[in-house]
Amino acid sequence: MPKKEVDLKFVAENVGHSSRATCGACHFNGGGGDAIKHADMSRQLLTPDRNCDIHMGGYDFDCAECHKTRNHQISGKSSSVPVAEGVVACESCHSKTPHYSGNLLDHHLNDHSKTLACNVCHSPVFAKCKPTKTWWDWSQAGDKEREVKKDKYGQPDYNWKKGEFKWEESGLPDYTWYSGYMDRVLMGDKVDLDADVITLTDPVGSINDPGSKITAFKIMKGIQAVDAEHAHVLVPQLFSADKDNTTAYWKNLDWDKAFQAGMKAVDLPYSGDVTWKETWMYWRINHEVMPADMALSCVQCHESLKGDQTCNRCHQDNREVDFKALAQKGTDFSLMKSQGRDVGHLIDKTDYINFKALGYEGDPIIHGGRFKKLPMGYQPSSD
Amino acid sequence: MIKKIMVCACLIPFLAGVCAAEVWKAPDQEQARERAKETVPFVKEYKDDCQISRRICLMDAGISLDDVTTVYFLLDSPIIKDREDHYEPVRFAHKRHAALVDDCTQCHHYRPKDENALETTRCSACHQDSFNPEYPERIGLKAAYHQQCMECHQQEAKGPVDCTGCHLKHVPDHKELVKLPDNPDPIQVTKACLECHDTQGEDMLKTAHWLWRGPSPYTTGHRKDILHGKGTTALNNF
Repeated sequence: MPKKEVDLKFVAENVGHSSRATCGACHFNGGGGDAIKHADMSRQLLTPDRNCDIHMGGYDFDCAECHKTRNHQISGKSSSVPVAEGVVACESCHSKTPHYSGNLLDHHLNDHSKTLACNVCHSPVFAKCKPTKTWWDWSQAGDKEREVKKDKYGQPDYNWKKGEFKWEESGLPDYTWYSGYMDRVLMGDKVDLDADVITLTDPVGSINDPGSKITAFKIMKGIQAVDAEHAHVLVPQLFSADKDNTTAYWKNLDWDKAFQAGMKAVDLPYSGDVTWKETWMYWRINHEVMPADMALSCVQCHESLKGDQTCNRCHQDNREVDFKALAQKGTDFSLMKSQGRDVGHLIDKTDYINFKALGYEGDPIIHGGRFKKLPMGYQPSSD
Repeated sequence: MIKKIMVCACLIPFLAGVCAAEVWKAPDQEQARERAKETVPFVKEYKDDCQISRRICLMDAGISLDDVTTVYFLLDSPIIKDREDHYEPVRFAHKRHAALVDDCTQCHHYRPKDENALETTRCSACHQDSFNPEYPERIGLKAAYHQQCMECHQQEAKGPVDCTGCHLKHVPDHKELVKLPDNPDPIQVTKACLECHDTQGEDMLKTAHWLWRGPSPYTTGHRKDILHGKGTTALNNF
């Protein structure tokens, strides 16, 4: 029920379209506070800078302009929860050949669109406007005496209710092949207790699948409790409105009671034998698309274009075209740094998306792409 | 480059210079909004070219995408608003359309007869009030927009052809519509909403935002399930 001081008559008389503020009231605060859960959404998006999000900051988009609705079902495919009532895709507006400026790169960029999700180039860092939580160790919770330290962004490293944290601002995403489908660990699913990491949401994809694209994710890493006998993830009861409650963790600081009550509530067995395991959740970077001129440049991934040979590996360069300038044009991390963003380590970075980790032998220009196996030839030396 | 437009609202005239608040505005949207407010002198006479010769004329003149000076428009005009005002403006990605259509004369189908005028001009220069008795053959701006957009969208089988595919409808002022006592309780308010919006109420009850569960077509092994969600089986580590 709404708070008593809310004038509901005023609210009813002033109904209107949804807005970034109405949707953001919940979605900007995922994980218990501003920007904690989502690496690409925060209260910054209420009045965003143009460089932070071109759609909302430049063109004043509301959420529902992309997240189209039908009978109050809202399209959008979340990474963290299974439910989806339709999908939103950049391609719906921008098409499968979104680069149309008429310049020399369009052909190559549109070819890249078959292999890369738009945001790999167009949103090269996550949490670019506000730090997001990237590590959450629940096993350390419960110490009310522990001194809370602030990190370089001014974010706390500890909360007795929740455990230990790490935060990232302007973070380098993790890149993996993604087909649009997720493997998920759902409540009651058996997990591998011997694995170093249990991945709760795991993008499905392969370098060999033409339907998979390299996609940018924030991985939320943390430590949480697993039932060592039943091998399923434990659900604690954290809070209770009942004054006399003796089981909620935030009231009683007793994990055993919290797990007993939580697992009873979800109707799953609890052995009492608890092991703390590292878990990961992949969350796709969807929002905070930067203006086109802030996209990654060719050389930020393709080291092979950094030297003397650039486009002239294949193309003649006896026209008045500055190949080097073309290959270097793109995201200016120096500018972002000058605006106070923590991106110093990304200036002049190359192999940005880590080709080897994605299954390539190395830079595809040298070693061949995933379907085009022929490497790009070296132009014979002119001398 | 940051182009955030900050507008200082000076509330009280005799305190001119004292800015009350910085109002956030989205620069590209604001620019388009300002442009949409403009009206230009009516072009009375146009050059009655055949479209083919006009296209060749433009191509020969070397007019290309690079000549598109305004990338983005809001299709909105006082010319239309003066007569009726039911919808929000339509976003129009001008350069994107120019690139897709690859033929400026699809929209810029005639040019002003005045040889000194620019080769292309805005729709609202030639199409203004509807049913102008002095120019009975000239359709009004609203009709021109709809004919141009919808015919092409239909022909190309691309882009919306329904009203709300392009427009957001204005929300009617509910101050007169809502009949509630002062300090109503939430149930009274919900009942008042449902008096008109009963279908929407029924719809709402079937949504993931209400149920906290729903279809999971993109979760492997659960593609035909309809019960997974935050309210049922979803796990997280935060």
